[in-house]
This record gives sequence, structure tokens and C-alpha cells, in this order.
Amino acid sequence: MIQFQGVTKTYPNGVSALRGIDLHINQGEFVAIIGLSGAGKSTLIRTINQMIKISSGSLLVNNIDVTKLKGKKLRRFRRDIGMVFQSFNLIKRTTVIKNVLAARVADMPFYKSMLGLYSKQDRIIALEALDQVGILEKAYTRADQLSGGQQQRVALARCVAQQPQIILADEPVASLDPVTSNQVMSDFVKINKELNITVIANMHHVDIALKYARRVIGIKEGLIVFDGPSTEITNEKLKQIYGRELSDDELMGEE
Amino acid sequence: MDKVKRLLLPKPIVLSNGKSVQPKLSPMVYVIPIMGVLTYYSLSVTRFNIGTLIRRGEQFWIIVDRMIPPNFAYFSNIYTPMIATIMMSVVGTLIGAILALPAAYASSQTMNQSNVGRTITKWVSSVLRTLPVLVLALIFRIIFGPGAFAGMVAIAVFTFTIMTKMFFELIDTADMGPFEAILSSGATRIQAFWSSIMPQLWGQYYSLVLYNFEMNIRNAAILGYVGAGGIGILLNERLAWRIYPDVGLILLVLMITVLIIENISRFIRKKLL
Repeated sequence: MIQFQGVTKTYPNGVSALRGIDLHINQGEFVAIIGLSGAGKSTLIRTINQMIKISSGSLLVNNIDVTKLKGKKLRRFRRDIGMVFQSFNLIKRTTVIKNVLAARVADMPFYKSMLGLYSKQDRIIALEALDQVGILEKAYTRADQLSGGQQQRVALARCVAQQPQIILADEPVASLDPVTSNQVMSDFVKINKELNITVIANMHHVDIALKYARRVIGIKEGLIVFDGPSTEITNEKLKQIYGRELSDDELMGEE
Repeated sequence: MDKVKRLLLPKPIVLSNGKSVQPKLSPMVYVIPIMGVLTYYSLSVTRFNIGTLIRRGEQFWIIVDRMIPPNFAYFSNIYTPMIATIMMSVVGTLIGAILALPAAYASSQTMNQSNVGRTITKWVSSVLRTLPVLVLALIFRIIFGPGAFAGMVAIAVFTFTIMTKMFFELIDTADMGPFEAILSSGATRIQAFWSSIMPQLWGQYYSLVLYNFEMNIRNAAILGYVGAGGIGILLNERLAWRIYPDVGLILLVLMITVLIIENISRFIRKKLL
């Protein structure tokens, strides 16, 4: 369970990205966050794992005040939260399995991670995660030899191998084509359902967001302007969130 | 001044439709006179004399002539110092390269968040970097006594300073995306560095190590001159005693060794990148 109360974030350069966010997300939800670029979507999801510190307000994750976490406790907390990025953020020069195993280093003593001494159990966890996203046979391929969609699945597997309770996805399909986007989103839905992992995804393409997420949050200039089931989104509401008609770029369209 | 400038400016280029474009003043207008003045002063300071160069230059060929044929019987004497020279470079390069890793991490803008820590490490390594390897060898000979150990330490420190600088610049340009991903999974910055930045850079790191090793073999050959062990001691001695056939063999063995190592190293580096 994630609880935002009056959360604000002002960057050192004076930009206020979040201006009073109240939000409540239950375990196992699938939430899409939509809004213009610069509305505060990326900041919002990064405050949950404290990759970005909030300026004021309170933020509880499973009843822990995460803003007070530091050092070892913060790192322990982050292990329960996986993250997926628009640009995949894989180590391209190395194999798929090593990329996935990198999610296990946080649980290892430094000398073991330094020498790459992953336990057999870690390897099984990594391979099972790859199997879950359907690319087990690519385990020993170099990451840069995969297509964009396959790379994003590796990133998702890396996230699953971390055995998180929450997955934060920052525009996970914005650099993929429509067919691949749908496949990757289906993987997210599958993991959300089978493992009861909360998924919070920033979405650039509104139609994809509405198709896969059960709940949609619209943010505009650092404030939540819509929060409800995806079935309740209308063109009027979208106009409110975007302050204009949607551009073609914000709709992926069907294959 | 304006008049002078106009005089030096290249002629405008006129197009067929009558438009004209004024090309810019070439920087050579300043560079050539400055180079000329510098050259003149350098020649007078070093007392350069073309006559001496021509008259004494033939001495070079006389010495080369005396080196031929090299005294191959001398080989048994140079075998051990030559191996010592190579080992000095191997161990020195390795130690320097390994120590350079944490130092490069600490000097990197993207990895080390402490401004104070970064400034200190950068400062220490730049100060050390101003010392040529021969000066380092002189210092370590005084500390550790003459011999290959002093030379090895000198090479290690020299490699350390160069590798630190070259490698932290590589770290700063590495892709930070994977680093953010591993950091967000709860790893420490050092763990994230090791498992997301280093995998991007291992090839370039090994290549740098080999490049430094090539350089150090050549450096190591001369360290004997200041008493820091290796083949340089014999070279110095034989030259001083003017036993040119022995010098010939030392130089021949040195050249062959350096060529072999350089070629192996270049071959591996090509495969790495």
C-alpha cells in the first residue's frame, strides 16, 4: 500500500514538479499515470523508491515513512521495488542472464558481487524470471543483439528477479512499436495478476494506458486532475488532463 | 591595425551572380610568426649548430658500425636482467592498474558525490602525474635501495597516475542508465558501479592496461640508468666502457622484445575494442 499525503517536490533550480499530491494505491493494483511531458510523472514514480527525495508532505509505503529511510535501511526498502525504464537501461555489452543477475547484487556481500559469485539459487531465480517473460532461450545472448521489445522484456525479467512487491515503470513502451508495445504490456499484466505485484506505469500513449491499466491517474502541472477506473475516462476528461486535444503522437493506434 | 588586417585578409570570393563572400582571416597569420620567433630562441638557447650536426653526425654511424656484429656470446649475461626488466613492467603495470580502479572511481564526477573527496584524489593524482618516471625511480631508489624493486614501484606509481586519469574520464562518459537501474534495486553505489558501469568498460580497461604495459617496457629499459634495476644498468655500463659489440646485442634483444610485446598487445587490443 502506497500513501501520498500533500507531497510536494521542488528541484534546486526552482521548478516545482509536484504541488500537493494525495494518492492511495493498494497492493496488486495496475495504475497508469498519464499527462503531458513535464507534468511530473517521472518525478512522481521516482519518489516512491526515493530515487528522488520529496520536499514536503508524507509518503508511506506499507506503513513505513520512506522519507526517513537512509543508508542500509533505504537500500533494504528499495529491494522490494523494481523499476523499468523507457530506454531499458540494460548493460548492452554483456549477456541477458548477467543483466538479470545484476538485480541480485543488492542481496549479496560485496566480495561475492565483485567476483560474480552468484549462487545456484540466484541463477534459477534469474532464469525463471526470463521464462516468465518468454525469452528463456535468449539467456546467453548478448543484450545488444536483441530487438527493442526483447530488451524491455529482459529489463522486466531483471525487475521480477528482484522479487519486488511494486514495479515502477517509467514510459516502458514509449520507444517500442505498437505490436511490441502490446506484447510488453501483456507481460506486465501477467506479472501483475500472477504475482500480485503492484504496477505503476507512466504512459505516454493514452490508448495503451487505457487498454491495460485498471486505474488511471491524470496529472497536470504537478497536481492530480483525474483518478479513477480507466473505463471512466472520456474525451472531456482527457482534454482536462492535457489542456488540449490529444496529438497523434500520444495515441499509438492499433496495429 | 585595421589596415594591416585588411592587407592580410584573403580576397573575397565572387559568385557568378555577383554576390561575394569574405573568407575569414587564417589563424596561420599569427601562428607562423610566433612559431618562427620560438624556433629562433630555441636554436640559440640550445646552441644548435648545423655544422656540428653534420660533422659529428657521422660518429653515429661509426658507433653503429662497431656494434655490428653484436657479441652474441654476451647473451648469457643479459638474459637475467632482460627478464627482470619485463617482470618489473608486468608487476608494476598490474599493481598500478589495479590501484587505479578505486582512484578512478573516486575521481569520477558521476560516481563520487563528495566534492571534497573528489578534489583531494584528483589533486593527489595530478601532483604525482607531474613526476616523470625517471624522477620517480630516483626517489624510490633512495627509499628502497638500488635494484629492480625500486623500478617496479616507480612503474606502478607512474601507471597508477596515468591510468587513473584516463579511466575516470571513461567512467564519466559511460551510460548511466544501467547504474540507475541497479541503484534503484537497492544496491550500494559501489555495487552498482561494479555491476553496471564496469561491464561497459572492461574492454577499454584491458586495452589501457596493455597500452601502459607497452609504454612501461620501454620505460623500464632506461630505469637502470638511475640504478633502478633491469637491462638499463648493463646498457649504461657497456656504453661507458665503449664495448660496442655488447651494446649492439643489448639493443638488438631490447628491440626484438619490445616489438614482440607491442605486436601481441596490439593484436589483443584490436580484439578487445
